[in-house]
Amino acid sequence: MEYALFYAEGADALPYVPEQDNVGEWVDEVEARGVSEYGERLRPEQDATTVRVRGGEVLVVDGPFTESKESIGGFDVIEASDLDEAIEVASKHPVASFGRVEIRPFVRWPDAEPGSRVVPAGFADRSAAGSRYLMLVVAEPGGERGAVDGSTPEDDDPEAWVREMDGRGVRQFGEVLRPPADATFVQRRHGEVLVTDGGFAEAKEWVAGFDLIEVRDLAEAIEVAAKHPMARGGAIELRPLWPFDVHEDPLVREAREGADRFRRLEPPAAEALAGAAL
Amino acid sequence: MTDAPGSDEAPGAGGPAPLAPGVSAALRDAYRSEWARVVATLIRVTGDWDVAEEAAAGAFERAAQAWPRDGVPRTPGAWLTTAARNLALDRLRRRGVERGKVLEWMAMQELEGHGDGPPDPADVVAEPSPEWDDRLRLVFTCAHPALPMESRVALTLRTVGGLETGEIARAFLVPEPTMGQRISRAKRKIRNAAIPYRVPTPDLLPERLDGVLAVLYLIANEGYLASHGDALQRLDLAAEAIRLTRLVVALLPDADEARALLAMMLLQHARSAARVDAAGDLVPLPEQDRSRWDAAEIAEGLALLDGGTAGAGDAPPGPYRLQAEIQAAHAVARSADETDWAAIAARYDALAMLADSPFVALNRAIARGLAFGARHGLDDLALLEASGRLEGYHLLPAAQADLLRRLGEADAAAARYRDAIALAPTAPERRFLERRLAELGPTHPAD
Repeated sequence: MEYALFYAEGADALPYVPEQDNVGEWVDEVEARGVSEYGERLRPEQDATTVRVRGGEVLVVDGPFTESKESIGGFDVIEASDLDEAIEVASKHPVASFGRVEIRPFVRWPDAEPGSRVVPAGFADRSAAGSRYLMLVVAEPGGERGAVDGSTPEDDDPEAWVREMDGRGVRQFGEVLRPPADATFVQRRHGEVLVTDGGFAEAKEWVAGFDLIEVRDLAEAIEVAAKHPMARGGAIELRPLWPFDVHEDPLVREAREGADRFRRLEPPAAEALAGAAL
Repeated sequence: MTDAPGSDEAPGAGGPAPLAPGVSAALRDAYRSEWARVVATLIRVTGDWDVAEEAAAGAFERAAQAWPRDGVPRTPGAWLTTAARNLALDRLRRRGVERGKVLEWMAMQELEGHGDGPPDPADVVAEPSPEWDDRLRLVFTCAHPALPMESRVALTLRTVGGLETGEIARAFLVPEPTMGQRISRAKRKIRNAAIPYRVPTPDLLPERLDGVLAVLYLIANEGYLASHGDALQRLDLAAEAIRLTRLVVALLPDADEARALLAMMLLQHARSAARVDAAGDLVPLPEQDRSRWDAAEIAEGLALLDGGTAGAGDAPPGPYRLQAEIQAAHAVARSADETDWAAIAARYDALAMLADSPFVALNRAIARGLAFGARHGLDDLALLEASGRLEGYHLLPAAQADLLRRLGEADAAAARYRDAIALAPTAPERRFLERRLAELGPTHPAD
């Protein structure tokens, strides 16, 4: 069974200690065990762009979808036999020690082929032809529904979006996540693994699914996101990936990234929006 | 909730032929002792909690029809399990084309893999071991840490204890639909997040057993001192906690903390008849008629503590053993005056080292007050009050009032009794505090 692991930073997180960052060993272990399917780090939340469509208008906001104190800093898709194995894998990730890991199962559609995978085989080794973004599909109760802005039923069909983007070669893979009620949080504190029920039932917004897209630039990413039906019913957060070498010395990485966090690599949202010509 | 649905409300019980008393008792006994075993086996075989429960309920329905006619089978548990297997098989066959068919097909393979077809209930003899393991799996799955604690308690009572959703809802004073949603949400999470149906691996077992014991402890606590409502104790819940803990002790006989928890429950439960008077009011420990304590339960509780394996290693006693030893100190005292408060205070010292709990600190202060003089206790309570950690908890001013009363400081005691009365959550506790306040005499008006 596949699980998405989201690495949450912020809120009650402990300070990051590079010396304790053994992510390289973690990746080696889960790959050797055949548990790991694909994972990425995400560029910091100030590089996030949130896309909503309201009344037919594309609204682009700089930053993540929510004011919540926590943000997702990275993700992995793993294949585990059950939740206990997923908990064991998550608890060994360094982020469990200073942040927390959210374990989310995927929705399996009734007509899903048995044995089909969220992450296509060999994807981790495929090199990117363009810029890759994690497109977080955010459910936002109260978002407007189709018909209001005169859209057609086809516009409300996520399958149609998937078909179009697959056809364009933009969408790499993705899946709908089980609701927060089925989520589990894992933290490691003082050597002890803390497992808790993870449903933020009271939260207004939550990640309902994700797609990994590969596009020319942020402008195309916004155009792709704006076409997703959930941009009307909720919001889409675009997060550029942050390729990194897991075996790099974490102290060196921390120093380099500290500087990097203050400059953006992507064009500002306004520029991208102008380019999207929507 | 002391009456299982297998008795009065059993489907079929209201049918044309009234049940012979013997059969009715056999059905009730079977429901109490076999529900978890039947459900546990069916969950393993079908992987579907709802199918398992429906099939188990159906099996008891069939028993209510068949046993008066054919007699009570020699091994009711095996009879019921087989009947439930057959019902589950029918149900899965009927749903054969729906979603999840692969999983169900696998379940059917296993169901049909028992010989040349589903066995006939009449042919089945008891096979103790696999069902035993199934029940242990069930206990650990219901208490999985990825489920919220309130759901763990409800699911354990429903699935392991066999209580109806309505009974659990009434016990915890929540509307039945709320409790139903809580239980079905937990089952959904077990399925969707793939919480494994198994006994944890040895490296996980100690911490997961802690979770199981915490659930049982919560059920017992709610039974011993209800958190709300008009009744002081809920003996049905207390009895259920004992029954479930007995099951865990039987399943894991080497788990010393499980034995200690059972001992603690028994030693507390032994006093239940003496803890309330005819009006349902609280009778405090020193005033209880000790001849009304249940001698058999006390003997069993003490034996469980003696028979423990705590002495085998150098491991310090765990929290349940310490609490059981405190109960044991009360149980062996022939009168309140003969209570070994120094021994009790020492156990609270050890408990305070294990967990930084304000409730432990409160009890420790009271024990020290009674062991070494009320002034000691009041000093400890003043520190606890200053910490603000028990703000709004009625037993803090109640404890201060009691120690002040022992020192003869009636005015100060009266003020603290009034604070406690205003905060007390149940009517019997309020009435007890009001009685104590009245006993101080009429010369102490409210401020």
